[in-house]
Amino acid sequence: MKLDSKIPEGKLEEKWRNYQIKSQLINPANKKKLNVIVVGSGLSGAGAAATLAELGYDVQCFCYQDSARRAHSVAAQGGINAAKNYQHDGDSVWRMFYDTLKGGDFRSREANTYRLAELSAPLIDHYVQQGVPFAREYGGVLVNRSFGGVQVQRTFYARGQTGQQLLLAAYSQLYKMIHAKKVTMFPRSEMLDLVVINGKAKGIIVRDLVTGELKRYAADAVVLATGGYSRVFRLSTLAIGCNGSAIWKAHKKGAYFAAPSFTQIHPTALPQSSEAQSKLTLMSESLRNDGRIWVPKKQEDTRKANDIPEEERDYYLERRYPSFGNLAPRDIASRAAKERIDAGHGVGRLKNAVYLDFKDAIAKFGLETIKDRYGNLFTMYKKITGIDAYKEPMQISPAAHFSMGGLWVDYELMTTIPGLYAVGECNFSDHGANRLGANSLLQASIDGYFVLPNTINNYLASALKEEHPTTDHPEFEKAEKEVKTSIDAILKINGTKTVDHFHRELGKVMWQECAMSRNKKGLEKAIEDIQILRDDFWNDVRVTGSGDELNTELEKALRLADFIELAILMCTDALERDESCGAHFREEFQTEDGEAVRKDEDYSYVSAWEYDNGNFKLHKEELEFEFVKPSVRSYK
Amino acid sequence: MQVTFKIWRQEGPNDKGTIRDYLVDGLSEDMSFLEALDHLNELLVLKNEKVIAYEYDCREGICGQCGVFINGRAHGPHDNITTCQLHMRSFNDGDTIVVEPWRTASFPVIKDLIVDRSAFDRIIEQGAYITAKTGTAPEANAILIPKEVSDNAMDAAACIGCGACVATCKNSSAALFTAAKINHLNRLPQGKAEEHKRVKEMTYQMEIEGFGSCTFTGACEVECPEGISITNIAELNARLTKANFLG
Amino acid sequence: MALNPLFFRKTLVAGTGLFLCVFLIVHLSANCILLLPEDIAREMYNAYSTTLRESPLIKIVAYVLYLSIILHVLYALLITIRNRKAKPQQYVANNASENSSWASRNMGILGSLILIFIVIHLVNFWARIKLGFGEEVALDVNGNKDVYAVTYGLFQNIYYVLFYTIMSIPLAFHLFHGFKSGFKTLGFYHKKGLTILAKIALIYALIMGIGFGIIPFVVYFK
Repeated sequence: MKLDSKIPEGKLEEKWRNYQIKSQLINPANKKKLNVIVVGSGLSGAGAAATLAELGYDVQCFCYQDSARRAHSVAAQGGINAAKNYQHDGDSVWRMFYDTLKGGDFRSREANTYRLAELSAPLIDHYVQQGVPFAREYGGVLVNRSFGGVQVQRTFYARGQTGQQLLLAAYSQLYKMIHAKKVTMFPRSEMLDLVVINGKAKGIIVRDLVTGELKRYAADAVVLATGGYSRVFRLSTLAIGCNGSAIWKAHKKGAYFAAPSFTQIHPTALPQSSEAQSKLTLMSESLRNDGRIWVPKKQEDTRKANDIPEEERDYYLERRYPSFGNLAPRDIASRAAKERIDAGHGVGRLKNAVYLDFKDAIAKFGLETIKDRYGNLFTMYKKITGIDAYKEPMQISPAAHFSMGGLWVDYELMTTIPGLYAVGECNFSDHGANRLGANSLLQASIDGYFVLPNTINNYLASALKEEHPTTDHPEFEKAEKEVKTSIDAILKINGTKTVDHFHRELGKVMWQECAMSRNKKGLEKAIEDIQILRDDFWNDVRVTGSGDELNTELEKALRLADFIELAILMCTDALERDESCGAHFREEFQTEDGEAVRKDEDYSYVSAWEYDNGNFKLHKEELEFEFVKPSVRSYK
Repeated sequence: MQVTFKIWRQEGPNDKGTIRDYLVDGLSEDMSFLEALDHLNELLVLKNEKVIAYEYDCREGICGQCGVFINGRAHGPHDNITTCQLHMRSFNDGDTIVVEPWRTASFPVIKDLIVDRSAFDRIIEQGAYITAKTGTAPEANAILIPKEVSDNAMDAAACIGCGACVATCKNSSAALFTAAKINHLNRLPQGKAEEHKRVKEMTYQMEIEGFGSCTFTGACEVECPEGISITNIAELNARLTKANFLG
Repeated sequence: MALNPLFFRKTLVAGTGLFLCVFLIVHLSANCILLLPEDIAREMYNAYSTTLRESPLIKIVAYVLYLSIILHVLYALLITIRNRKAKPQQYVANNASENSSWASRNMGILGSLILIFIVIHLVNFWARIKLGFGEEVALDVNGNKDVYAVTYGLFQNIYYVLFYTIMSIPLAFHLFHGFKSGFKTLGFYHKKGLTILAKIALIYALIMGIGFGIIPFVVYFK
């Protein structure tokens, strides 16, 4: 199948308008007859569900948590970007578009990225109207701050809880429509399969997580808004429940998976402290504004941080990237940390961290100023580690964070299965090979609130002419049976190892071979190892309890089974891409001083993988740069 | 380290529950409390027993999904934190740790330590929003909001909806939760248009859900992970009086 | 939309409670007469109580007072019943003292003790003086009912003295929390004001507790 990205005609700044002018409309009386399923209730899911309901569609929204308000958008700390140019510092839609495209190392579509920047300003208007208490000046206007990798101040924020405030706004709007009986909410419900009828997405199979019952829901269109899959590494900044199952099931039903190996490793998380660790807590990137990152010059230095004299400290980011220093972009900062840790300079009990030191900042600005700027983060650090970071440096470590990759979508956010849409982090659209800070909340919101509600009509207009799907269709029967079979199969194994055991093993392989730096040999080995792990899982996992009850162990097992398969695809993708770009760093493709070497002539395309009975077939969507010329990213 | 967990086990909503003892060895003080429970669950699986059901998601104190009563306090022995932020270093080797679900008629137990907090969602549903459709917003800086007003709104908006306030309240009052949401929106100019309706309908729903009344013991603000002040409830009372007379 | 019943009940308890707080101030002020030497105190006290009995305004206030007590008790009871229903199952371990004061959690018990006290107090005085139960009350030199003698007589009994004094302790605790809580229930939410209010509540509760607590003793040792 030839991939058609459906980019509209015209100049970059006119494309979205041109699209809207030409897209089909559906009259209000008919909208009521059409129902849309939205899976996920984060910023993109709740935003889409609420807006579609406002437009008149009949919406069903599903989430695995106990309430829509828990979705992991809630955890984003830093902020949301918008090209408002409120600071009068020369920002514009074009500049934001260019920063995002460049930040992503020119591996995303111009038109999509431009639309992201273009719609950012009205999005801030929207959130302010919905009551988000963004930070303000005494005079009452909105405040901005700067964020990694850009030179203007365009980030809007609500303390260190921006994601929470945006999510609660979306959740509230969703509940407004639930109150209006236009949306039905299904919490504690996990999508376990997609139902495709005559090549079109027509429904889902859901497991009621309280009773274990499998349920069928039919719809005229299905929207996946299920977030990122970085829990494939097990230790990540994501919520424990975050998973890739919905998109993986869709992939297996025919949706192409784009750039699966593009996963961002965040440089400032708290290091792993024990084998039993379940999660890595993120410390806001803003700390790098004042903190200095260093490691001891001596390998395996066992002295306490404060006992190491200044001349024996290696401020490696300042050394390698003198112009950006500690504010180098995420992928670069993470990789540099890994390099030092691997070279034996890691600190902390497990030698897996680097220091983030505020000594100089405190000396320069005073303790009170630093407290005022980062007080809540220092408190959080103390809660988790028990260490007072005003007195000794923080220990930080890179952690798996955001997945740029996801289901391949066209300009309309439709996957390769007609009627199946993917919005937010679960798609691959705007970020290319690396996401800029504070662009994640933005993309999720824009997809859900502004793009999808404008593009879905184009498909639904044709759905009107078709018969409304019903859940007694044989395809529903078949899908439900498949789900039932795999649940039974897992429960029947009764092996000797726990689900977490396998997840830890998977995480180790993925972290070692498919995270910050990758190489051919390692990836090939990883694929073999994961295949062995997969077989071992299906032979030796033990899940207690039954499928007919609330069974958290079963939930974990089902998610892990999909992660294992996804991991193979991630490694396959990383292996195929013989270049280094953004978060994808192949050791074979670097300069003498360790910088990435991108190969535009061979790899300026989006890899879209088709599932074929356990094998993956590559399709290429060539990226055409009509309006900008890809340049080499340099932060030296 | 080694501890004895005394954990509430209950098969389903209509089953009778009981406290069961689990002696767990091999814990480290760097583990979070929930990781200690994860560890216990792995041991249970290997012993062919059903795992203990408890809730969590983000494990960084913001999603509000975790929350159990630990040694007689909501979210454990410290003030203003969530269960997932509690670490084993807060306990001593050999301690006994009693773990119970939130106890409130309005949050029925679903299984073991998991309760149903959908009553909160239904309170939200009654008006915790600004009735404006996507696409109708005026320019953001057209609404000037003084910093103090915005900061005050943010203080209340920080609520994570974990339910600790209700769990710890001897009356099972949801007043802090409801007040926080109402004050967040009603303090802002955007929320003014429907302020009275919002106050009346959300508090009315709170009544219907069977929560008790606030008697200002102050327990909620101590256990609230976001430290939301109980003054919010007094403010809610003022708003309700005003709404009853004016709205 | 109908008036929120939960809110209505609470407002009523707070309103009546604060009214009773005001009454107590008046009551204690008058009772301070009992602290004076007998020759001054007796006539003053009797004259005062006659005024109370005969003034039509005070009569109205008295009815409001009775009604307040009844409503305060009744609605507090209703709220308590509902609150109990809201938490049908108690925790196996509950470390409530870590997050709240004992008084704030036990207003019901404190209130019940005070109610018992009020009943006995009314039997001791009101029933005897107004309803004429028991031994007839004599008249003083000015022809006023000798309420002073009734008081004096009662507090010659050490058990009554102890009972009245001990009961001033729950009163103080109840007032300390009730005073603060009442204002908040009625919607006073000024942050600084509330810290001042907490101090006033403490002083108020101490004065009431100590005041009502020492009077029986002073009379006993007169």
